[in-house]
Amino acid sequence: MPVLEVDALAKRFGGLEAVAELSFDVREGEIFAIIGPNGAGKTTTLNLLSGLLRPSAGRIRLNGREIQTLPSFERTHLGLGRAFQVVQPFPEMTVRENVQVGALFGSPGTSRAEGERRTDAALERTGLTALAGQPAEELTLLQEKRLEIARALATQPTVLMLDEVMAGLRPAEARQAVELVRDVGQSGVTVVFIEHVMPVVRDLADRVLVMDHGRFLAEGSYAGVTADLAVIEAYLGTPDEAGEEEEAP
Amino acid sequence: MKLLRDALPVGLFALALWLLPDLLRGTAGRASVSYLSLVTNGLGLAVLALSWDVLARTGQLSLAHAAFYGTGAYVTTIVARHLELPLWVGIPAAGIVAVLLALGLGAVTLRLRGIYFAIATLAFSEVLKAFFRQLPTAFAGGSAGMNVAPLFRPVFEPETMERWEIAFFRNEAYYLLYAGLLLLTIGISLWTRRSRLRPAFTAVRTNEQVAAVMGVRPARTKLLAFALSSLSVGMLGAIHAHRVGSVVPEGAFAVATTVFALVTPIFGGLYTTLGPILGAGLLSAIEEALKRNLSDGYLIGYGLVLVLSILFMPRGIVGTVRNAARRRRTTRETAPAEGNRS
Repeated sequence: MPVLEVDALAKRFGGLEAVAELSFDVREGEIFAIIGPNGAGKTTTLNLLSGLLRPSAGRIRLNGREIQTLPSFERTHLGLGRAFQVVQPFPEMTVRENVQVGALFGSPGTSRAEGERRTDAALERTGLTALAGQPAEELTLLQEKRLEIARALATQPTVLMLDEVMAGLRPAEARQAVELVRDVGQSGVTVVFIEHVMPVVRDLADRVLVMDHGRFLAEGSYAGVTADLAVIEAYLGTPDEAGEEEEAP
Repeated sequence: MKLLRDALPVGLFALALWLLPDLLRGTAGRASVSYLSLVTNGLGLAVLALSWDVLARTGQLSLAHAAFYGTGAYVTTIVARHLELPLWVGIPAAGIVAVLLALGLGAVTLRLRGIYFAIATLAFSEVLKAFFRQLPTAFAGGSAGMNVAPLFRPVFEPETMERWEIAFFRNEAYYLLYAGLLLLTIGISLWTRRSRLRPAFTAVRTNEQVAAVMGVRPARTKLLAFALSSLSVGMLGAIHAHRVGSVVPEGAFAVATTVFALVTPIFGGLYTTLGPILGAGLLSAIEEALKRNLSDGYLIGYGLVLVLSILFMPRGIVGTVRNAARRRRTTRETAPAEGNRS
């Protein structure tokens, strides 16, 4: 049963078709990867899903309910969580306060006690408990990424969207991040993630969607998709992918 | 629980405000009449500054404070002139009208940010000034303005009081009203700092889009701040009109009101309850001291104080003190401060 259904989604910026005729389903409980070269429209797709952008055409359903016209906060209230690629903590707040925002406002009618409990749980889960009192602006990149995930988890999502959480991490750090995502997936949260680091995709994803030039290119298991000639073609000319095999966690 | 932490300082502050008039009368005698008036001006500045700060906590740097202040003054005057109601009714009415106007302005400016928001709110204030000036003279006084009935008329009793004490009792009554309004504003401010409004306000101020993805409702949050902020200012403008006895468009909607509303919290410390109050107290004292020593040139000195303080204390008094305290704490702990400090 799909939790997230994307149907003929499109986004035009002037003459540029950033996303076009994009359709895919994400099933309940799976870890779903979106890959593709730079400029393929992956982040635009996440922005359309989380409501930062309004689609030019198409439908998005979350648990059967159409959400493409809803503002971001309502999508969050309905269980769609999001961690950003460019980490954007609230710098004036402590780590704990950052997570509290998601915990208190992620689902309407959360009591303060319940908010505190969710905050503690999200900090614990992401290994940030010891840093709770630290100002968010003093974190390292890995800690910031953990904070991104903690905040999103605190909103109690049924579907969690992660945008390149591994980018910029050292191999050892990336391994920790993979464990964290896997752990989140095992707790029953459906995960949709964008990733450039192919070994990460191989290790984590139940299914993979390949995008190119804003369009659907292929979908299936990691092995099936990478065997697809078209994918290899899409990746030609992106030499930075070559070295990343060694970063296998 | 956390409210208890505030109860003591606020209670002591309220007690001090309560005791001050008699203390002044006991020590300064006849001069206490004008002292009380000066303190009342300081309280008014504190209400103006603190209510502006409440709105600023959501990132809305408003130049519309004079609009709500002036509207409050006009509302209570019009109510007093045209309706057969007790005079005091005009004050909550002024607050309510100010809130409604603020919700309207807030709704229109929701998508504006930074300088565009500032300009729009300034224009709003100027439009309202023109509006009240253009209303029929018989209704709202036109550009000449109107007289406003005083709220308090102490009666002279030859056996029990001296003649100057009439002025003292009148000033004391206004003083207490201002003090009450300040306490209300402090209550509003503390509520936004201690409840879940605090993370909502800060999140909306620092990154509205991310706040929305975290589930915060930015529009609702910003409108609530607008309403809370304008309530006190509207009532302040109303009480002030009764106190000075007249209202004219130029005075009620003076740009200076807006300027003081934003300069004072910046001087004292933005986004705090203490900062705007401390700023109002210090700036009032500095202004008075300069007036006595420089007479007409006092504004130059006043401007200099503001420029220097903003240059050297960009985070205001409270922010500067807090940073210094934090720096001392971190240098004293030789181990890196990684521990759980919450």
